[in-house]
Amino acid sequence: MTPLSASNSALETTARRLPGDLAIWFFILAELLAFGVFFVVYAFTRANHVELFNAEQLTLDRTSGAINTVLLLTSSFFVVRAVQVAEAGFSRRAAPWLAAAFACGAGFVVVKIFEYAEKIGAGISLSSSTFYMFYLSLTFFHFMHVILGLVIIAAMWNGARTGRYGPDNMNGIETGAAYWHMVDLVWLILFPLIYVMR
Amino acid sequence: MSGTFTKAMARNIFYGGTVFFFLLLVALTVDTTTNLHKSDNSANLTPQVVAGKHIWETRNCIGCHTLLGEGAYFAPELGNVYPRRGPEFIKAWIQSQPTGAPGRRQMPQFHLTDQELDDLVAFLKYTSEIDAQKWPPNIEG
Amino acid sequence: MKYTSQSVALPYFIAAIGLFVGQIVFGLAMGLQYVVGDFLFPEIPFNVARMVHTNLLIVWLLFGFMGAAYYLIPEEAETELYSPKLALLMFWIFLIAGAATILGYLLVDYATLAEMTGNNILATMGREFLEQPLLTKIGIVIVALAFLFNISMTMLKGRKTVISIVMLLGLWGLAIFFLFSFYNPGNLVKDKFYWWWVVHLWVEGVWELIMAAMLAFVLIKVTGVDREVIEKWLYVIITLALVTGLIGTGHHYFWIGTPGYWQWWGSIFSALEPIPFFAMTVFAFNMVNRRRREHPNKAAVLWALGTGVMAFLGAGVWGFLHTLAPVNFYTHGSQITAAHGHMAFYGAYVLVVLTIISYAMPLLRGRAANSQRAQVVEMWSFWLMTISMVFITLFLTAAGILQVWLQRVSDTPMPFMQVQDQINLFYWMRLWAGVVFAVGLVTYVTSFFIKGESKPLITP
Repeated sequence: MTPLSASNSALETTARRLPGDLAIWFFILAELLAFGVFFVVYAFTRANHVELFNAEQLTLDRTSGAINTVLLLTSSFFVVRAVQVAEAGFSRRAAPWLAAAFACGAGFVVVKIFEYAEKIGAGISLSSSTFYMFYLSLTFFHFMHVILGLVIIAAMWNGARTGRYGPDNMNGIETGAAYWHMVDLVWLILFPLIYVMR
Repeated sequence: MSGTFTKAMARNIFYGGTVFFFLLLVALTVDTTTNLHKSDNSANLTPQVVAGKHIWETRNCIGCHTLLGEGAYFAPELGNVYPRRGPEFIKAWIQSQPTGAPGRRQMPQFHLTDQELDDLVAFLKYTSEIDAQKWPPNIEG
Repeated sequence: MKYTSQSVALPYFIAAIGLFVGQIVFGLAMGLQYVVGDFLFPEIPFNVARMVHTNLLIVWLLFGFMGAAYYLIPEEAETELYSPKLALLMFWIFLIAGAATILGYLLVDYATLAEMTGNNILATMGREFLEQPLLTKIGIVIVALAFLFNISMTMLKGRKTVISIVMLLGLWGLAIFFLFSFYNPGNLVKDKFYWWWVVHLWVEGVWELIMAAMLAFVLIKVTGVDREVIEKWLYVIITLALVTGLIGTGHHYFWIGTPGYWQWWGSIFSALEPIPFFAMTVFAFNMVNRRRREHPNKAAVLWALGTGVMAFLGAGVWGFLHTLAPVNFYTHGSQITAAHGHMAFYGAYVLVVLTIISYAMPLLRGRAANSQRAQVVEMWSFWLMTISMVFITLFLTAAGILQVWLQRVSDTPMPFMQVQDQINLFYWMRLWAGVVFAVGLVTYVTSFFIKGESKPLITP
């Protein structure tokens, strides 16, 4: 297949094509379901303990949460840029964008570790109260997703650097990007739900 | 809608997802282990209780009874038998088996010594003081 | 059968069926003991019958898994088995050790058996499903390692397909998680916590990999659907199984002295556990609908589809019924648990082993499929056993609901034995359903002896 016909067929299918591998979408759906059920359970439990939840919510560090929101959004933007550059046929030039995305994600991890250290120092654990159970469970479950996402971005960075991606080979980078956007999306629900909404 | 669906990607997601959720299970296990002393009544885990657990196991009590809801469902729950019946009743009951009542479920005679009976009761007392999140719902188990 | 060494699967399958018959005999005895309490007492008290019933189940399923591995790994790897002699040796060791253990349960007082077999050196006995003497447990580990060595070497020297990799991962996981059966601390809560690392991580973890691999193998063979397609879906299904099942372990940590947060984690993730089973059902039906050939072995297709449906009902639906902590608070350790246990084990593991036996046995006996008459009898046995299992489950569920109501929900709770008298009728009905199951099993065994014109094996 010549490069021309490859890009042609890519163009033809762009409109209706599912980005990334179908397998990741099953995984993403399962994950969103788990998070979704967790969120719904949180909402119902909160409705029964509004005062406890409101009081303990005030102890959370909203500033670090806000910083982390910015970091993840920026990171997602960098990943989008990386995908665009790769699709345009410049796999190697996608690598710096992925490195920047990785840096933002790593920033999230660092901020989160400081937040956890402060909470653990204050003697807060999964067994402290229903609110802290939800706070720690949900944020930690998400935190592990960020770490897995970083591993995936590192693999994508390695792939981009070696020139693996291009208009005819977008599966790897798009799949990783889809996962990272899910991690971002979950945080965009999690942060207001647990840190902000009263 | 068309899409890519490759075996290699499905494989990577399988391995990644498995490692991820196994590590999550390990993380929760670490937290459980470090906090277990708050609920597992280990402060009262005396050598006598351990000896009683040994009696419990070597007489295969779990083959008919449940203990904290786990076991067979042929005979009563024993996680809370200590507060339900008290130590003297439990010992007298074990010693008087089997009842031999025709057509009724029978419990074997284990020929336990007084020491063994005391050990077993100590184990059942320790078990009843485990914080099982208010389970069972009532004294009948 | 493409490789002569696959024939070592034959004794494994025969032993599996033989022990299955034993399991059902003791099941019937227990069913009778539920309603006529002193039946067989004191010769075989209920606890001994139950130990034999559950241990035989585990052992015959292990025979089935091993037979399946010996059959499918050489075919998948496209090479002869690394050592057929080792496989046969292990067969006899496992069979003799298993039979000796069962005889030990029946003939020796359990406490004496414990003393004789080194339980005072390392106490591992007397815990549900892990009642085996220390020597038997060590024997299981040795047999498992020799078996894993044998099939791993076979795969390493041949083609490495997804099916054999998943099968091996499941079997290695089975052996590794069994090691937790040697850990039995005096602290009851810790004991129970890690006990589930054997029991849950087996049946809702690594066994699902074995089951999915076996099902995928048979589906490729009987439908002729492209291997690529089946293998991709295999990965997706086992991913879903472990994503939900690993943290789903938490649904056993509600009321055994573990921290309260397990009620949330366990409920949420185990509520998703039906998804992989549902996916397996859809997958099985889809592949059969997209079949590219009409395989002469219709019975094997029926068993395969039955596995999908019954695993979803038993493990998925009946599991979900009582998996949420607020429900489980009332149902924990009641006849509802027994109902779920029966249909889940039958639907997932009994049926998948019978599926592979149904597919492989005619080939091992030198024909593509059994005669029409034999297949009709075999399919009758499927319906008899499956429908009676549905009724066993329904009667136990009814008994369980009534038990929970009278003993736990009511404002004036009744004592355990009084409640048992109230639900006696359901135990009688369960027993009769069990008798029909036994008739189905006899029909199944009979089907192997029915002659008739069978499809000849066409060797390529």
